[in-house]
Amino acid sequence: MSNSLRPYLAAVRSTLTAALTLENFASQVVERHNKPEIESSTSKEVLLNPLTISRNENERVLIEPSVNSIRLSIKIKQADEIERILCNKFTRFMMQRAESFIVLRRKPVTGYDISFLITNTHTETMLKHKIVDFIIQFMEEVDKEISEMKLSLNARARIVAESYLTAVRSISLLRCLQLKSPQFNT
Amino acid sequence: MEVNFRKINVDQYDEDVIQESELYEADPREPAEVLEEAKQRQVAVRGLLSKNDIAGALTTILDNAPYGPNVESAKEITLQTLLTILNSTKSTEISVIIKSLSMDTQDTLMKYIYKGMGMPGWGDVSGSVLLGWHEKLTEVAGVGCIVRTMTDRRIV
Amino acid sequence: MPEIFSLGQTPVTCHSFNADRTQLAVSLNNNEALIMNKQGNEWVPSITLSEHDKLITSIDWAPNSNRIVTCSQDRNAYVWQEQTDPETGGLVWKPTLVLLRINRAATHVRWSPKEDKFAVASGARAIAVCSFDAENNWWVSKLLKKPIRSTVLAVDWHPNNVLLAAGSADMKARVFSAYIKEVDERPSPTVWGSKLPFNTICGEYTTPAGGWVHAVGFSPSGDVLAFAGHDSSISIVYPGGPVLHTIRMQTLPLITLTWTAEDSIVAAGHDCRPLVFAGSEAGWREAGTLDDPSAAKSPDSRFGGGSPTVGRLKTGAFATFRDADTRGQSSASPVTDTKLTTIHQNTITSVRPYAYGGAGVSQVSTSGVDGTLVVWDVNAVVALTSRLGGSHLR
Repeated sequence: MSNSLRPYLAAVRSTLTAALTLENFASQVVERHNKPEIESSTSKEVLLNPLTISRNENERVLIEPSVNSIRLSIKIKQADEIERILCNKFTRFMMQRAESFIVLRRKPVTGYDISFLITNTHTETMLKHKIVDFIIQFMEEVDKEISEMKLSLNARARIVAESYLTAVRSISLLRCLQLKSPQFNT
Repeated sequence: MEVNFRKINVDQYDEDVIQESELYEADPREPAEVLEEAKQRQVAVRGLLSKNDIAGALTTILDNAPYGPNVESAKEITLQTLLTILNSTKSTEISVIIKSLSMDTQDTLMKYIYKGMGMPGWGDVSGSVLLGWHEKLTEVAGVGCIVRTMTDRRIV
Repeated sequence: MPEIFSLGQTPVTCHSFNADRTQLAVSLNNNEALIMNKQGNEWVPSITLSEHDKLITSIDWAPNSNRIVTCSQDRNAYVWQEQTDPETGGLVWKPTLVLLRINRAATHVRWSPKEDKFAVASGARAIAVCSFDAENNWWVSKLLKKPIRSTVLAVDWHPNNVLLAAGSADMKARVFSAYIKEVDERPSPTVWGSKLPFNTICGEYTTPAGGWVHAVGFSPSGDVLAFAGHDSSISIVYPGGPVLHTIRMQTLPLITLTWTAEDSIVAAGHDCRPLVFAGSEAGWREAGTLDDPSAAKSPDSRFGGGSPTVGRLKTGAFATFRDADTRGQSSASPVTDTKLTTIHQNTITSVRPYAYGGAGVSQVSTSGVDGTLVVWDVNAVVALTSRLGGSHLR
């Protein structure tokens, strides 16, 4: 399991390093504008080929580079219904607070769970290799986070069920006694 | 009143704007010719694989590989053949083989590794094999090789 | 030993020295240009040139006429001249607006060798070649337009003051004639051509794998052209043959280059260290780097860990347990310090000749996104050790 995680993260790291070669680039279509070209996609020549790195069918990363911005989208592993719900809640939680995460995009690219939009401003104000580290760390953590949440959810469900069933059992015990010996009713 | 004219994207009528076809030199070969060639190579690669000549097989399949539009089936055959080669290589031999390849072949190999990972439904079959090759290839050819995969519009 | 100056925490978009290297013009990633003076071992800002209202993309300081030209994403260029203020009697930098006639961002500007013209590259798929019109007392421009199809990213003048090389985002490096009848004498024939009316294309070269051309440069003699592309390649053109040598690198793309002699180029870019290329018409190779990875850079780079190492208590075991307590970091996964082994900690955006000596350039200066300015000795070439360079892989 983890032996295929390492080459996967290594591939994401090297591809991201290669893609984070951004520069300040003013729009050549709209006067005095400077926008992430990957989002506006008005000039074909400044967009590069998007690359996919996949570990398996359910875990993929899409990197779409351009001259002044890149979009990185992650498909997080979701093995069952609970993980799907948790993942959805978790990514929604973060994307609603996208401004605090700086590089997060407010909406994921179709087919992926969470997207990052990194522009030349980010690579200028932050160290480039630290951004790469952050993304890799995020990918490591998110799987861990979701499986931990799943465990605690299961544990909680067990406790709830237990205490609920304890209550049910005591009531049904009472019922049994009542049926057997009618004098309790009086 | 007709207001649809407001929705016209006037920028597309800019005659100076660069077109998709101008981003790279088109393949001079006919699509049918390319497909035929890909099939022939598939046979040649089988022969080389039986002799255990992995580097030779890789060079055969990657040299002058099909690119551009209208040759999807030839690309698919090439990718399939390539995956058979990659799958039949021992992981200890990968580095040595990659080092023996020319720079062009290394660049094309990187393109095909990304293509293989990007194909929907292929990830389960060969995900870890491709990742292993990707790692070794990056060690040998550097991130420059990945940059060229991004910039080169001759998409395989 | 390279001299390192920290100019600020913000990126240095471009830098240019005056003739005797006592003053420096830089832009710190905003709409103002700063003139700095050297005081002791650091550069101190003295004058602010503020006329632009968007990011300044390029500055060039003409060594002989002592004029500064700045260009910006606000589509304008200004020529600044030091004049005596009639009221105070002090020296002030007086701006003159240049009528560029471009409608997109200006990206790069360079004075011609004779300093009577300058070229402004722009996102309007054009290069404005500007010359001074004495009659009306302003700078007028003529546009080089055909066959540029995308933003021009870099320009460089041929020593004969007429030919101009340009690299653009349409993946081509071109050599144009920027001959202006009113200014130039008839140029003598060169290897690039003999009849040279304005906008003659003397050469057009493509990058090997479709990269934007970030940097162009004529060799000191003007007979050779080098250009660097975003596909991690550098190409050297001898127009006679024509012979085209291309080096595809294993590292990240180069975005700036300068010739130091007829057989040597210093180039730098996203790999955060200046590389040296050497060769002749027979062939070119990557000779090494100026950034010696074995030399000690700064004392703090040796300490591991993300936590500040101030005071004895906060080191070693104490830090381990404190981190485990406050941040939940276990000692099983120690915090690896990811400070780069290069001097520049981020992309180098500009490399320029600093001092001349012997056969050519003896020192070059680089500035980058990390806000540092470094002066390198071009002869201290170290062989490349790590092929991945600045981009470390865990």
